[in-house]
Amino acid sequence: MPATPTNPDRRRWLDWVLGSWFAGVCGAVFFPVVRYLSPPEISEPPTLTVKAGPAATLAPNTGRLVPFGQKPALVVRLKNGELRAFAGTCTHLACTVQYRPDLEHIWCACHNGHYDLTGRNISGPPPKPLDSYEAHEQGDEIVISRRT
Amino acid sequence: MTPTIRHAVVVGGLAVWLGATGWVVVARQPGTANVQDPAVAFQGDVHQQNGVTCATCHGAGTPGPVDRTKIAALCASCHSDPAFMRKYRPQVRTDQHAQYLTSVHGQQMSKGETRVATCSDCHKAHGVLPVRDARSPVAPANVAATCATCHADADRMTAFSRDPAVFDDWSHSVHADALLERGDTSAPTCSTCHGSHGATPPGIDSVANVCSTCHVREAELYRASTKRAAFEAMDMPACLTCHSNHKIVHPNDGWIDFKEPALCATCHATDTPGAPVIRTMRSGFDQLNASFHEAEAVLTRAEEAGMLVDDGMTALRDAQERRVRLRVLVHSFAEEPFTASLTEGLAATTRAQAAGEAALEELSFRRRGLALATLAILGFLLTLGIKIRSLPKP
Amino acid sequence: MSIRTWLAERLPIDAVQAAIDHKTVPLHRHSFWYYLGGMTLFFFGVQVATGILLLLYYRPSSAEAYDSVQFIMTRVPFGWLIRSLHSWSANLMVAAAFIHLFSVLYLKAYRKPREFTWLSGMVLLFITMGFGFTGYLLPWNELAFFATRVGTDIPGAIPVVGDAIVTFLRGGPDVTGATLTRFFGIHVAVLPAITTVVLGLHLLLVQYHGMSVPPSIEDEAARIGRPVRVMPFVPHFALRDLFGWMVALALLAGLSAYLPWELGRKADLFAAAPAGIRPEWYFLWTFQALKLVPGHVLGLEGELVAISVLSLGALGILLLPFLDPNTTRSRRVVNWLASAALLFMAVMTIWAYWGGE
Repeated sequence: MPATPTNPDRRRWLDWVLGSWFAGVCGAVFFPVVRYLSPPEISEPPTLTVKAGPAATLAPNTGRLVPFGQKPALVVRLKNGELRAFAGTCTHLACTVQYRPDLEHIWCACHNGHYDLTGRNISGPPPKPLDSYEAHEQGDEIVISRRT
Repeated sequence: MTPTIRHAVVVGGLAVWLGATGWVVVARQPGTANVQDPAVAFQGDVHQQNGVTCATCHGAGTPGPVDRTKIAALCASCHSDPAFMRKYRPQVRTDQHAQYLTSVHGQQMSKGETRVATCSDCHKAHGVLPVRDARSPVAPANVAATCATCHADADRMTAFSRDPAVFDDWSHSVHADALLERGDTSAPTCSTCHGSHGATPPGIDSVANVCSTCHVREAELYRASTKRAAFEAMDMPACLTCHSNHKIVHPNDGWIDFKEPALCATCHATDTPGAPVIRTMRSGFDQLNASFHEAEAVLTRAEEAGMLVDDGMTALRDAQERRVRLRVLVHSFAEEPFTASLTEGLAATTRAQAAGEAALEELSFRRRGLALATLAILGFLLTLGIKIRSLPKP
Repeated sequence: MSIRTWLAERLPIDAVQAAIDHKTVPLHRHSFWYYLGGMTLFFFGVQVATGILLLLYYRPSSAEAYDSVQFIMTRVPFGWLIRSLHSWSANLMVAAAFIHLFSVLYLKAYRKPREFTWLSGMVLLFITMGFGFTGYLLPWNELAFFATRVGTDIPGAIPVVGDAIVTFLRGGPDVTGATLTRFFGIHVAVLPAITTVVLGLHLLLVQYHGMSVPPSIEDEAARIGRPVRVMPFVPHFALRDLFGWMVALALLAGLSAYLPWELGRKADLFAAAPAGIRPEWYFLWTFQALKLVPGHVLGLEGELVAISVLSLGALGILLLPFLDPNTTRSRRVVNWLASAALLFMAVMTIWAYWGGE
């Protein structure tokens, strides 16, 4: 039943309830927006550049596997101190490759695939070279980035 | 039956039998086909392209088939001459004939056994293509089928007391699957293990070497393990003891157990030495597989609910890789590197599981949030409806 | 009150207030369709708000676009909500705009003196489709990439200038990262700028002319000799508008939470086209019609004929107020044509969904 429009008390009460609900709706709208605007834990997508851990702990003639996006990357410090980085996934059957200090090159344990320190497949089943990334030191940290 | 009819039947039957056999023999005999066919086949032959003519092999005059025992020597007259071959391809090998002479094929042929393979049986007589040409019968993907023309022929193999099932066995192996299904030309075919020109079954002492050309880590672990001495003492063929030779199927975690048909059970019982290792590995795999499937199920559920669970998927991939590594570590036949690696694998599945559960938790948070928002909107709509109805009529 | 007085001395709020107080909306059995324009406007507002929010994290390059959208969906708090809202609202906006178009068509609201309202509305619809087409590519996923390749290829059938148009659209001979950057610019700068002007004009004209009363209602009122009933714009119509918007908001929230917009797989320029390439649903009928046209029609290239027919149709509907003499007969013809067009679009869309494989 439509209420009598002349009842000012009832109208005021209705407006008050309406306003309260509207405040609730506004809260439901602005809460996500404010949270969205606050910076996320990782401030940018790990697409092009990723931090690969402290530089000091990567000794010459060793390698380190780090996540790059959703795939592993292999950072290698050469004997002369130079840094290089490669995609960590073997081009044969997608096992994760590793650095072999004794051979001084990259090796895949799954089917004995070998890559040299430019990422070229030099022996075994891998059909093509590993992608290589840029690697450099930024302060105390190693940073690797995709070549664009 | 009158004698005339019997006579006719016998003669007729004999004629049919002779005809059929003759046809089969003729059809099977290499080099008895129409003279024009070799000439046609020779077009595009690598030899034809390099100026070799019919007369080079068949001599002048009317060409006839080359005697089978002389084929290898004929080919070798050029192919074993480094100075000659260098003119065509500077790095070409010239040891094929020498290798052939050491092979079972070559040795039998030297004894005058013409039913064994010689050059032209694998490379063709006319229409020879370079090995790197994918159409060549000796290209990686075709080698097995080429060998099978003789080695899968039961009649021919029985004569030499060889097993005609080898090709079929290999066809069911992980290697055939990799080579033919996935097109991985580095996967082993017959010649990878047996050699091509010097084809000989690898001896028991060389099996591990053959396998280890690709399966390095497994071989390394096996050689350092106690299993090696035990197998050698018992004259067991290393890798083949468990994996067989041709029908190398995908290994299964179930092989490790005390009950048949588990492989370990062939020799081991619960009270023999090595039982604790089997027990550790069995329970290790059970644990890892169970937690892997659980994590996978949670992640799938989250994904199907529309959540992106990349972290979890990365962790699961990590777990999968550690599981593969753990399967390699079985070849250490010892508890130590295994348990350490198992812990890492379980840590990865725990991470995956946690990511999946976090996603599901996030999902229910969203649903609760939505419920709250919907409640606010519904309340607003209800009040607004009342408000609209209470407006003065226009 | 003193602030109001202070403002009223400086701003025309009294005039605006008076206009609002006097503004009325006709009340009759077709009044429901008056809300569709406002509904489209609401979805547009959501698009602007969520679009601006997405800009904070989105990166318009082929190397980063996909990952940045994925980043928004997974790492940014409520990013999934903002992106899903943007996608869902876009689709609902197109739907609302189409219903608005057909309701205006059936109720003959385009007739004199509202020709320019109609024209600006049609332009807004084309712009909306442009928003949809350019926005579809921005996440740089496989489906969008190939659909854009097909979509941008269509003008290639036009003689002489076709190839130039394709190259212009794609920013090169093929769909690449250059296309993405270009589409991004069009999506967030060019189209919004044009929209601001045209939408402003459209709304101004709607206010200027007021709501159109359908001829059938006018005739009826004339017959019984009583003017058409009206309701005040504020609060009667406005509150009902608000009611509709809140329902739409609840719908959007539910869709976004239960059916978050998929991201698909990252586009690979060198991969083969996957199965099931299709544009957004509102382009499906065009897509299917182009697919069904034979290679050659009357000695002409089939695709060209189809494009010509579609363009003529678009031009016809754009200029409808000038073509329709507004007689009882012509109104019936327009109704039949509109129904035929609706039926054609519906059949083609259904065909593309279920019979097109």
